[in-house]
Amino acid sequence: MVDLAIIIGGPQGGGIESAGQIGVRALAMKGYDIYGVREYHSNIIGAHSYFNIRVRDAPARSARLPVDAVVALDAESVFTHMDDVREGGVFVYDTSTLKTKIDRIAPMPQPLKERVKAKLASMGLGDTVSDAIKYLEGRSVKLIGINLKAAIKEVAEKSGRPVVSVARAANVVGLSAALAYLGVEEDYVKAAIEAYFAGRPKIIEPNKIAASIAYQYVAESVGLGKLPDGPFKGRVRMIATGNDVVAMGKVVGGLTVQTYYPITPAADEALYMEGHRVVDVRDEFKEKIGLEKLGVVVVQTEDEISAINMAIGAALAGARAATTTSGPGFSLMNEAISMAYIMEAPVVITVWQRAGPSTGMATRTGQQDLLHALFAGHGDAVKIVLASGDHEEAFYDAIKALNWAEEFQIPVIHLLDKTLAASVKSFDEFDLDSVKIERGKLLYKHENGEYLRYKLTEDGISPRVPVGFAKQLVSSLEHTEYGVAIEDPEVRNAMVEKRLKKLKAIEAGIPEEERVKVYGSPSASVTIISWGSAKGPILDALEKLEADGISARYIHIKTFMPFPVKTIEEAFRGGGKIIVVDYNMLAQTSLAIRMFTGLRAPHIIQKFSGRALMEQEIVRAVKEIVESNVERVVVSDGA
Amino acid sequence: MARNWLEYRTSAWVQWCPGCGNYGILTAAFKAFAELDLDPVKTVVVSGIGCSSRIPYYINVTGVHTIHGRPIPVATGIKLANPDLTVIVMSGDGDLLGIGAAHFVALGRRNVDLTVIMHDNAVYGLTKGQAGPTLPAWVQTKALRAPNIQDALNPLLLAIASGYTFVARAYAYHTDKLKEIIKAAIKHRGAAFVDVLQPCPTYNNVMTQQWYEQRIYYIEEEESDYDAVVTSPDERKEKMLRAIGKALEWGDRIPLGIIYQDKAKEPFDERIERITPGYRENPPATRPVDYEGKPLIDPFKVFTDRVIKT
Repeated sequence: MVDLAIIIGGPQGGGIESAGQIGVRALAMKGYDIYGVREYHSNIIGAHSYFNIRVRDAPARSARLPVDAVVALDAESVFTHMDDVREGGVFVYDTSTLKTKIDRIAPMPQPLKERVKAKLASMGLGDTVSDAIKYLEGRSVKLIGINLKAAIKEVAEKSGRPVVSVARAANVVGLSAALAYLGVEEDYVKAAIEAYFAGRPKIIEPNKIAASIAYQYVAESVGLGKLPDGPFKGRVRMIATGNDVVAMGKVVGGLTVQTYYPITPAADEALYMEGHRVVDVRDEFKEKIGLEKLGVVVVQTEDEISAINMAIGAALAGARAATTTSGPGFSLMNEAISMAYIMEAPVVITVWQRAGPSTGMATRTGQQDLLHALFAGHGDAVKIVLASGDHEEAFYDAIKALNWAEEFQIPVIHLLDKTLAASVKSFDEFDLDSVKIERGKLLYKHENGEYLRYKLTEDGISPRVPVGFAKQLVSSLEHTEYGVAIEDPEVRNAMVEKRLKKLKAIEAGIPEEERVKVYGSPSASVTIISWGSAKGPILDALEKLEADGISARYIHIKTFMPFPVKTIEEAFRGGGKIIVVDYNMLAQTSLAIRMFTGLRAPHIIQKFSGRALMEQEIVRAVKEIVESNVERVVVSDGA
Repeated sequence: MARNWLEYRTSAWVQWCPGCGNYGILTAAFKAFAELDLDPVKTVVVSGIGCSSRIPYYINVTGVHTIHGRPIPVATGIKLANPDLTVIVMSGDGDLLGIGAAHFVALGRRNVDLTVIMHDNAVYGLTKGQAGPTLPAWVQTKALRAPNIQDALNPLLLAIASGYTFVARAYAYHTDKLKEIIKAAIKHRGAAFVDVLQPCPTYNNVMTQQWYEQRIYYIEEEESDYDAVVTSPDERKEKMLRAIGKALEWGDRIPLGIIYQDKAKEPFDERIERITPGYRENPPATRPVDYEGKPLIDPFKVFTDRVIKT
């Protein structure tokens, strides 16, 4: 069984992103499933950033600590991750930083410096990188020291390029040293460099030289490792972030207008889409629709208020429309969400949650906007709230959100988070045959008399002819069937009842299996309930718990509106221990469960440090709850 | 073929106060629409919130009544999705320049082919007379508890600075002149702004009909050589400076008419077409998104920058 974890750390702007992307490509080409989460500061250059990559011959779906290898590209990374590598693991560091004192590292947060210094002092060690290396020796970690400055000079000489233009290749030297030791052949790294920097030969060449230098160094010092090829070898796969995958899902799902205002971690979704605004039609449909290419309009707006209102306008005119944002922008969208509801406008709001309150920690993760999503919009405004747990779900859910918006003529909030946004995953081709594009009661013409946009119908959903195809009134005020503003109590009641019927149609139209997914046996003694990106670490934890004699299962909530009342009630009736994993302070998942079922979850595992949830934290916390029956365990792994 | 303007009337009770300037704007709109022969299906009036924003219920075309301050982004979305529609924003000065000012500016920057007709009475009528963004400082209209201590903004200057390519001012009670300006604004390809000075007989007891009529004059009647139409970019600076001078006139004399028009700037739909070829012919509102429910796009064929061969 192959199950490796690798951290690559360094200063923001120092090529951590590309080292991570090259690393995951090399490992995927080698035939392994990969998952890599990126942790970074809200900063352009200098602050500490790292990739935590998981490599498995089975599905890789979460990060874990300790890892098997750390690549520390600078002094701060050595200090930050000296406890993140397991005993017997490997630690790659830059020997040109050995004399660096921790207090000289300006970007490093003072409290972390104090913790590291205290740790080193308790072992009788000082406060330089060389002390940290001694500490690692004491932990039986295999050390690979490379002089990165000298290596870069060598890259410059061999490539005939100035040192400053190849300095970033230090990341590839460090990465390659770790991969060489772990047994990934040099060719994979070079192929990954070519793939990642495709079309930029001036960057490819020095990076390949950097890889060779590292491989030679490892071969001559500690020796090259051996790793068999993985089981995913020989396939055509994708490596993409959650941001990418949602953009893909929307485009495949027929989105024609997307609006956004720049915000972390949502902007990358829109940017990726913007880079693919003219897309090829599948060969089999080119003739059928008479088009070879299709356009996607992406507009950057002046603020999030404009973004949502513009998307609603586009939707009224017949476009499959969405906007993408994060907590602060979502706050600004609230009033328009209520408008979309009363106008019965089909719009999708993709919300990439990050760590608040307020600007909080803009590049960190969390699931703090669940209640915000459920309660968004004043005055009895209802939305569908859908959440994705991993990359694959995110793709299909992006399509589903567009479908539901049009079928039920209602705003759909698609909840994701920064962990998904910034993590990369390898996956196989999507099952396009399972994808169905639904547009509900959409018609492009109206005959026979006056068109009634808000016609009272059996299921509360009116035939929808877009603005521009039938004369009509669309109103944010309470209105008649035609759309004229009115405050008559009987018409008001009829319209409220109409919208209530629509909620029933949603309840009936979104079956339990769309609302929730259960992993594991009903006879398990522990039931974990959670949602979103907690899925991966929880599923990985189930395997570990099983191996340690604890049978656990996982209930993964997919929709909060409508809520999977039946499954949750059954779980509570079932006996075993119920544990909710809640990625926030307020225990919002537990509160939502209580709101929809009246049931109070007896145990919760919480994380609000802003770092991705990891497998070992769940294992540890579940064991603690099983052993000592504590009500609440807070976990906080990860630098 | 012009239609009869009465066809644009609806049967709804018009709920404005007697003597309200909105009536003049409504009548001018009926006549302008009729003379332009606007198709009620393909003409969309988008409003925000306020007295004037009830206008979609009174005009027999497609209407969208949005929320306070947001008619411009909603209208932009409609036009973006379907560039074949004639989209007209009709809203008040509080809606467009108070709460919605960011969108007003952004529309100019995009030069979207929309017409914005601002009902400018300098007060928030529907909430009973608070100071609007165009009410001069130290004026105390009758509902104010204290004189207004915020300066008025200059809508024309803001429109020019924001990039509107058609900037005009009109007067609500001169319906024939107003009608002509509205027609010119709708015919203009690009972001058009008409600031319609409008007495509010209920709450603005300072800027009354008499007050306006002592001050207003038509540029075309007094300055036959006034020409602020830009037909090529090299004329822009000179003509814009002239327009800015006109926009700054406010006091004993208030100029009316088309103050600035720039025919040399690309509207938004052409800009989108340039970066997304095919947009105009197959706009977002109508382009196919599926074939019998099947998706038209294969992600592994399109997003090839994320595909690897293992």
